[in-house]
Amino acid sequence: MAVTDMPEFIRADGPDKVTGTGRYTADMTLTGQLVAKFKYAEVTHAIITKLDVEAARAIPGVFAVLTAADVPDIRFTYGIADRTLFATDRVRFEGEIVAAVAAISDDVAQQALDAIVFEYDELPPIVDLEAAIADGAALVHPDVDSYVVTGDTPHSGNVATHSSIAMGNAEEAMSNAATVVTSRYVADASHATPIEPRAVVAQWEGERVTVYTSTQVPFDARNLVCEALELPANRVRIIAPHLGGGFGGKCGGHFEPHIAALARAAKRPVKLVFSRWEEFIAPDRRREGMIIDITTGVDADGKIVARTGNILLDNGAYLADSAFFPQAAAMHVAGPYVIPNVFIDSRLVYTNHQPSGSVRAPTAPQGCWAVESHTDEIAAAIGMDPLDFRRKNIVTTGSVGAVGQTYDEIGLDQCLELAAESAGWGNDLPDDEALGISVGWWPSFHSPAGAYAKMHGDGSIQVITGASECGTGSVMTLRMLAADELGVDQTDIELVYQDTGAAPAGPGSSGSMTLFNHGRAVERAARQIADQIKELAATELEANAADIVLADGKASVAGTPTVSVPIVELAGSSPDGEILGSATTEDIEWPEIKGSTCLGDQGFSSWMAPQFSCHVVRVKVDKDTGVSRVLEVHAAHDSGTIINPIAAHGQIEGGVTMGIGQALTEGTQYDDAGRQRNAGLLEYKLQTIADAPKITTQFVEIYTPNAGPRGAKGLAEAPNVATCGAVNNAISAAIGKRIYQLPMTAERVWAAMNDISLEEA
Amino acid sequence: MTLTIATSLDDILAGLAQGARPIAGGTDLVVGSRQGKGSLPDTLIAIDRVAELNTIDVGADATRIGSGVTHARLMTDTTVVEQFTSIADASALVGSPATRNVGTLGGNVMNGSPAMDTGAPLVVLGAKAELASTSGTRTIGLDELWTGPGQTSANEDELCVALVIPNRPTASGSAYVRLEYRRAMEIAIVGAAASVEFDGDAIGAVNVALTAVAPTILEVTGLNGIVGSALDDATLAQVAEIASEQAAPISDLRASDKYRRHTIGVMARRAVDAAARRAAGEQIAVPVNRALGVGAVQ
Repeated sequence: MAVTDMPEFIRADGPDKVTGTGRYTADMTLTGQLVAKFKYAEVTHAIITKLDVEAARAIPGVFAVLTAADVPDIRFTYGIADRTLFATDRVRFEGEIVAAVAAISDDVAQQALDAIVFEYDELPPIVDLEAAIADGAALVHPDVDSYVVTGDTPHSGNVATHSSIAMGNAEEAMSNAATVVTSRYVADASHATPIEPRAVVAQWEGERVTVYTSTQVPFDARNLVCEALELPANRVRIIAPHLGGGFGGKCGGHFEPHIAALARAAKRPVKLVFSRWEEFIAPDRRREGMIIDITTGVDADGKIVARTGNILLDNGAYLADSAFFPQAAAMHVAGPYVIPNVFIDSRLVYTNHQPSGSVRAPTAPQGCWAVESHTDEIAAAIGMDPLDFRRKNIVTTGSVGAVGQTYDEIGLDQCLELAAESAGWGNDLPDDEALGISVGWWPSFHSPAGAYAKMHGDGSIQVITGASECGTGSVMTLRMLAADELGVDQTDIELVYQDTGAAPAGPGSSGSMTLFNHGRAVERAARQIADQIKELAATELEANAADIVLADGKASVAGTPTVSVPIVELAGSSPDGEILGSATTEDIEWPEIKGSTCLGDQGFSSWMAPQFSCHVVRVKVDKDTGVSRVLEVHAAHDSGTIINPIAAHGQIEGGVTMGIGQALTEGTQYDDAGRQRNAGLLEYKLQTIADAPKITTQFVEIYTPNAGPRGAKGLAEAPNVATCGAVNNAISAAIGKRIYQLPMTAERVWAAMNDISLEEA
Repeated sequence: MTLTIATSLDDILAGLAQGARPIAGGTDLVVGSRQGKGSLPDTLIAIDRVAELNTIDVGADATRIGSGVTHARLMTDTTVVEQFTSIADASALVGSPATRNVGTLGGNVMNGSPAMDTGAPLVVLGAKAELASTSGTRTIGLDELWTGPGQTSANEDELCVALVIPNRPTASGSAYVRLEYRRAMEIAIVGAAASVEFDGDAIGAVNVALTAVAPTILEVTGLNGIVGSALDDATLAQVAEIASEQAAPISDLRASDKYRRHTIGVMARRAVDAAARRAAGEQIAVPVNRALGVGAVQ
């Protein structure tokens, strides 16, 4: 069956979620369950002078109070092992956990928190990126040199990791360029902001613990529990009930070890449910603030000849999964352009802010916003139309990009034309409206992933996957693939997912990897069952197994559809009672692709099955107030083959809307000490459905070898990449001034229009 | 905590006399409590099912809007939309459909926030608040009612039972516009209401009140200078300038004082313009923000 013959998507988790019968972690109640609460530092940088929890422990109804003294003395995290479950000698951000309590009720838990004696000497907060890397700056981690370092993670002082791209001779080429443009862009930090705040429930049975948690990656959560509490993997089971959104913010493990440790100490199940304030300040998955300096030289024909860049990323207090951020950011500042001479330096800087971590295409929306705004500045400097300038400089099939990679068949040029045409590029618009264009890109990632498939004796099918459904529909898509392999209806298949006790490991819902990796594993596991069915059918129909076709619930002989047997009957005839399939993606070989990273390579130097996009947005600006509204977004994406168009359109629409939020209204504000001032949904302004523009999506479907199932690339993160840049270019075109800070709030637009300088906190 | 569901006004007033606190939609009280602004009162009396608080009565000289009338009703009620349009404009911008379905006019007024949306419209329409207790009923001006952010002059045992608004002269109109960073779930950063009455082609009377630029809703003074003028760009510019001058905005998370001072002028000018156009008979749908794209882009 060709991909285009795929049946219309039927979303297995849809009825649960729409009718409200679905259960999320916070809905769970276990017998004897206690309430967990955390004592946070609230101060951003201090040396702990006293931490006494005895009075808290003595309160009736308090079952456990834990501090660093009560858990294994282990530092963890890939890159630099700078983390501990609880603060030890000092605290480094406001949401750092000093102690955790488990108590009979919310009130008693609060009393216990209030009874904890926590005294400290405050240190000056380190919150300014440039000051933090200056000679002699105080260090966020004075003992960083004693931490375990993994991977290619060059670090020094407050620079946690450092990555560079070097190709050709940027300095010389720049000096020979006809025109040179320099820009500085500053992006504020922002948040993933899933509507479901995190929740964790842990229950021990003997020496085994089951943790129910709102993680996007159950296997990472399991690994964190195992590492931090020194437990073997077979005694820790992570189950994620329905997820109420994640957007990257729930990638990895978070508070599962704390709650497991509390439950063990309390000898009772323990449940943690975050308030919205906690959801803002405590997780290690803030979207990083950035300072981006870019200089680009172009020749007399408008071809880019050189680019240099200097990027500082605000890591916050600890590494979460951020070791690759400098390299990813550098790739975006290089951009999907042909540039023969490049030098980009990118540093991840420790500060006393909340840790940064993966949020939907980490570093990309900010990096793309900067480079695409800069691209329009270059076009303006040489008097060229922004669309024409991109036509002249973007990567196309066979070209070598600014990061040294040679691209096989890609469709960025088609994306550019389709989006521009759809938007009516060049048409006249009212004075307060304008179009803005941006191209974007993002890799696909290979990861080991496994799947089991079972056809029971009654013909019903289970697919057991380590994938996680955080709302994208991608796990739900997996059964379409299995159904297609098996020639059955997708509704005959039940999915088992988000349970480390049942499924083989995989990357869960992270890095746009569900379909790309879990999809291939599911497809191969289902194929194993299909092969066994064909053998059974061959015997039954006295034909060759190679000639058996599975379709419409029947096994038939190719070319003779009347000679057939129902698959359900064959399943029942299996001598084992059921038919099993088991597959992984580990044995898939990838061609070597080269990049030009010369320092701090965290696996991003070249991009496998890269996704390309172009967004053209139409923006209207209220010139009296600076309020900008995105009226239309025309998106064109090369994400390879599209297997599930309904879910694919959903991803574009959601990603675009999230991008508009980051572009216009979503920015974290800090006080001088580095505490969040707008850690709530009234002051941290998400876009609402009333704000959503008309979104027109077109896919450039190019079959991509060495990609996901049937030539599919990733898709979940890419739609979030190009929106901010396009919005800036549209606003700038409408007002005749450029905005250099993200988000481009009404006040900042108004200030730019009127040359007013804002004294911001 | 106890919650009593009142079935009559007498029930409520008796409860208040004994120290209970009233709750209607709970959109300020309950949400505030969850955000840690203060715990819920020990004794609550639910007032939302009392019919006497849920009426809109058009009298010979004035219209009496019960304090329990919801924003959802205010934004669609024919009398309110036709006569007191600025209240409908404001109600349509409050929170979300869920907030508007349970939030009430009385709650908005008595919560006393300088960012309340219905406050400025009530001021420009000359509304008074009717307060009742077991000792009797009194009617006071809103300037007397609001004493500071979140503060009113009402006694603990008094309930605001209605807002009483003089009926509108002919050739008059009113409007409320608000600055919005997004189009739902928004709170007033600045807002302005205006009432305009024409005397022939000239402005016969004009009132402007401002939201979220002072400790309480601020009524703009000194507009007499434009009475008798035609409604043109120069007049509107004067309105903007006077409003910006009189505002006493603060800097906070939502905006700087500088930006608020500028945008309050824009809102005032647009409110007067919309009110005048309505006074002249133009049909501008509720809310003005959506119909004309003022405050936020359409």
